[in-house]
Amino acid sequence: MNNTVQLFATCLIDTLKPKIGEAVVHVLNHVGTQVEFPLEQTCCGQPAFNAGMRSQARKMAEHTIQVFEKSQNPIIIPSGSCTSMIRHSYLELFSGDETWLHRAQNLAARTYEFTEFLVDILGVEDLDVSFPHKITYHPSCHLLRNLGIDRQPRTLLANIRDAEFIELPHATDCCGFGGVFSADQPEISTAMLNRKIENIISTSAPYVITCDTGCLLNISGGVHRKKLPQKVLHIAEILDNFKT
Amino acid sequence: MKIFKQKIRQALNDQVLQAALDANAERRNAARLTALASLPINYEEAQEQAYKIRKNVIDNLEKYLELFIQNAKANGLIVHTAENAIQAREIILGIAKNNNAKLIAKSKSMVSEEILLNQCLEDSGIQTVETDLGEYIIQLRGEHPSHIITPAVHLLRNQVGETFQKKLGIPYTTDIPILTQAARKTLRKIFLDADIGISGVNFGVAESGTLCIITNEGNGRMVTTMPKIHVALMGIERIVPTLEDLVKMLDLLPRSATGQETTVYTQFIHSPRSNNDLDGPLKRHLILVDNGRRNTNKSPIQDVLLCIRCGACINACPVFREIGGHAYIGEKGEFTPYPGPIGSVISPALFGESKFGHLAQVCSLCGACKEACPINIDLPNLLLRVRAGGKEIHSKKQNFQPRGLTAPLIYSLRIFSFIMQHPKLLLVLQKTLGLFSTIFSLGKPWINLPPFSGWGYSKDIPTPVKHPFREQWVKKAISFKEPPGNFKPSHALMDQQKSLHGGSKRKSLSVKNRTILIHKFEREFTTLDGKFYICSKDTLADKVIELLKSLKTEQIISWNVRGKFEKIIDSLIENNIAINLCMPSNAKVGLTGVTAAVAETGSIMLTSGEGKPLSASLLPETHIAILYAEDIYPRLENVLTLPEVKNASASVLISGPSRTADIEMTLTIGVHGPREVIVICAT
Repeated sequence: MNNTVQLFATCLIDTLKPKIGEAVVHVLNHVGTQVEFPLEQTCCGQPAFNAGMRSQARKMAEHTIQVFEKSQNPIIIPSGSCTSMIRHSYLELFSGDETWLHRAQNLAARTYEFTEFLVDILGVEDLDVSFPHKITYHPSCHLLRNLGIDRQPRTLLANIRDAEFIELPHATDCCGFGGVFSADQPEISTAMLNRKIENIISTSAPYVITCDTGCLLNISGGVHRKKLPQKVLHIAEILDNFKT
Repeated sequence: MKIFKQKIRQALNDQVLQAALDANAERRNAARLTALASLPINYEEAQEQAYKIRKNVIDNLEKYLELFIQNAKANGLIVHTAENAIQAREIILGIAKNNNAKLIAKSKSMVSEEILLNQCLEDSGIQTVETDLGEYIIQLRGEHPSHIITPAVHLLRNQVGETFQKKLGIPYTTDIPILTQAARKTLRKIFLDADIGISGVNFGVAESGTLCIITNEGNGRMVTTMPKIHVALMGIERIVPTLEDLVKMLDLLPRSATGQETTVYTQFIHSPRSNNDLDGPLKRHLILVDNGRRNTNKSPIQDVLLCIRCGACINACPVFREIGGHAYIGEKGEFTPYPGPIGSVISPALFGESKFGHLAQVCSLCGACKEACPINIDLPNLLLRVRAGGKEIHSKKQNFQPRGLTAPLIYSLRIFSFIMQHPKLLLVLQKTLGLFSTIFSLGKPWINLPPFSGWGYSKDIPTPVKHPFREQWVKKAISFKEPPGNFKPSHALMDQQKSLHGGSKRKSLSVKNRTILIHKFEREFTTLDGKFYICSKDTLADKVIELLKSLKTEQIISWNVRGKFEKIIDSLIENNIAINLCMPSNAKVGLTGVTAAVAETGSIMLTSGEGKPLSASLLPETHIAILYAEDIYPRLENVLTLPEVKNASASVLISGPSRTADIEMTLTIGVHGPREVIVICAT
C-alpha cells in the first residue's frame, strides 16, 4: 500500500518557521509515512482571497492545484486555515467554472489538516511522547469552526506523557490574527490579542499549543513584545518529542 | 475612512463603553446557550429547518409576498408598498396628516431606523416618542441605537440616571427599578394620548396574513392596541409561509436574541377592531418596505435576507465586543442602524457598497457569528463576498480594489500574489529577505517592526530565516526519521466533519396526561415570575373574590363573556366589586379568561372579541387570568390552529409579567404591562 504523502508546508512555515515543517516531517515519518515536498508549492492564495482580491487569489489557487495534482497522494497541511481554504474557499472561488471546480474538488477530497490526518485517517492517537510541562491549547478559528477539528488535537495532547493540560479560559475566542485584518485593523486586533494573552497568563502554563502558524505568530509576537515568558508552539513541535 | 478609524479608536479608549460591551458579550452569550439547551429538538436540526423555511421564502419571495398581501387585505389591513425610504416616509406622513396626528407612540422597529422615520416626523411637527425603554433612553440622549435588540447596550446605569434627571426632572438615581418606573409613568400618558401607534413586525405569515410581533415590556402591545390607528412597518423579506413555520421561528428568535424561551408578549394580529371588539385600533395599516431588498435578492449576497434580526451574531462577534455599535459607520460617517457581522453585510447590501463596503474588512473571519446564527447564515462567506465586490463579484477583474483597505496593503498583496506564482523567484526573495533581516535584527530571533506597519503596533515578528524550508529540503538539511513500526495509512475519503454541536436527538415532549400538563405549565409559568393557584371549578369564584380582597381592590377591568365566565362575574357583583369593560384609569386589577395555554413555555393565549377587552391584560398593574385545565395544550402549534385564535382580530400570548433588561441587562419586572400576572387554574 502506498504510504506517501505530499506536504504543503504553507508560506509562513517555509519563510518564518521552517523548524515547524521539520517537526511535521518527523512526526509523519514516525508514524510510517513517507513525505514528499513538491518544490513548486508557494501559497494557497488565502491572503488575497480574504482581502477580496479574487483574481489574484485565483492565480495562486490554480498554481497550487497544478502543483499538487501531479501526484494522487494525499496532501497534508499543518494549518487549519490553509486546509479550510482548499476544502471550502476553492469551491467558492471556482464556482461557475466547471473545469477548475472539478480539479479543486479533486484536490480538496484528499487534502487533510495535520492532526486530522494523524487521528482520523491513520488512527494514531498516542505518539508516545513525553513533555514534562504545563501546557494549554488555543483552538484556531478556521480549524475549529470551518473544519470542525477539535477532538483530534486534543486527543493527541491528552496522550502526551508527563504533561499537565490546563484548559484555556474562553478558548474559542479569536486571538485577533485574521490574516490581513491584523495589519489593516491593528488596534482591534491588539485588543483581541490582549484578551487572549490575559487568558493564557491565567492558566500559568508556560507552553501554549496551536495548530496554525498564523495564530502562533500573532500570539507569540504579542507575548514577546510584552516580554512575557510564555512560549507558543505548533502542535507538531510538541509531538516531535518521542520517547523512542 | 478617517472618521471610521477615529470612531474605532474612540470606542477602544472608552472605558465605560468597554465595561458595557464586556458585560453584554458575557451575559448574552451564556443566556443564549442556556436557552438553546431547552429547545424541543436538537439545535442543529432546528437551524437546518429554519434555514430551509427562510431560504424557500427568499427564493420565492414574490409568490409569498403576493399571498401574504392578499390575506392581510382580506383580514382588513390597509396594505401599502414602498420601494424605498422616501416612499415609506411619505406614506406614513400621509396617514399622519389624514388623521391630524400630533403625537405618535412607537415601539421598536429597525425598518423605521433604516428609513430615518423619527427625524422626518419631527420635521413635520409631529411629536414621535420611542417607547421601548432602551430606545426611549437613547432618544432622550439624542443618540442612535448601538445594537438591534438592546439599543442602549452602550450605556451604564449612571448615564441613564443622569439623562432621566435632566430630561424627566426626577432626582438622580442609579436604581434601575426606579428608573424603569419613571419611564412607565411618563410613557403611559403617551400611549393613552397618542393618535397613532407605529410598530415593527417580526414575522408576517403568508397563509393567514398574520402579523407576529414579540416584545417583553408591553410597549408593543400598547402601540398596537391603544391608539386609534396602528401602522406596522415591515421589510418585505420577513415572511414565513405557514403558522407551523412561525412556531419554528418563535422557538429560535427569543432564545437567540435575549436567551428567553419565549418573550413575555407574542402578538398575533389579524385585523383592526371588529364590531364585537371592545378595544383595539379602528384602522391598521401595513407598510411593506423594499428599500434595496429585491435588488439584494438577485445578488450573490442574497442570503443576508434570511436574517430574522435576533442579534446573536452581534453578541458573539469579538470585534463588536471591542468597538460597539456606533463605530459601524459609512465612509464619510453615514449612519446605519445595523452593526456587527450582519450589519457589515446588510448595510452595504441596502445602502450601497461605496458607502458601507469597508465594514466587511473589520472582521477577523473567526466564524463566531455563523456559529451563533439560528438560521445558519454563512456570514463569513457573505462578508468575503462583500469584500470581493458584493453584488458584483469580480473574480477575474484584475484591478479590483477592495473597499476599506489602504493602497499600500493592496499593492503589497498584488506583489505577494505575483511572487507566489513563481516558486524560483520566491526562493531568491526569501533568501534575500532572510539575509537582510538577519543583518537588520543583528542576528536576534525577533524583529521589532514600527507601529505603522500594522503588525508592529503591538507585536514582534520572528526574523525571516536565511534558509527557508524549501531550501533545507533540497539540501537534505531536514532530518528524516525511520518509522518504528508498521503504520498503514488508509487513505479512505473521510466524511466531511460535522460541526461541534453534535449530540443525540432530543425526544419530543411526551406530556399527554392532563395532570402532567398542568404541572408543566405551573413550573414554566412560575419560573417566569407568574403566580399560580389551583382550585376546583366549584370554588373558583370564591378564590377570585379572596384574591381581589387581598389586593384591596373594588374596581376591576374585566372580560365579560357568556358561559362559564358569567357565573364568576355574577359572584363578583354580589360581592360589590365594580366591573368595567372599558378602561378606568384607576383600575388596579384586570380579570380575564384564557383562550388556551401552552404548557411548554408557561404561556397564556388571550384573544380579542366580544366581552374581551385586550387592555384588561395590559393596562392594570395586576392581571388575574382564569384558566380551565382543559384549555392547556402542550405546544404553541396546538394553540395557533384553534379557530378562536385564527378568527380573532388580535391575540396575544403572555408569558409572565412585563419585563425589561434594557439598562445594563438587569432584569426589571413591570415596565408598561402588568407587574404581576396571576393564573387561577380550575380543574
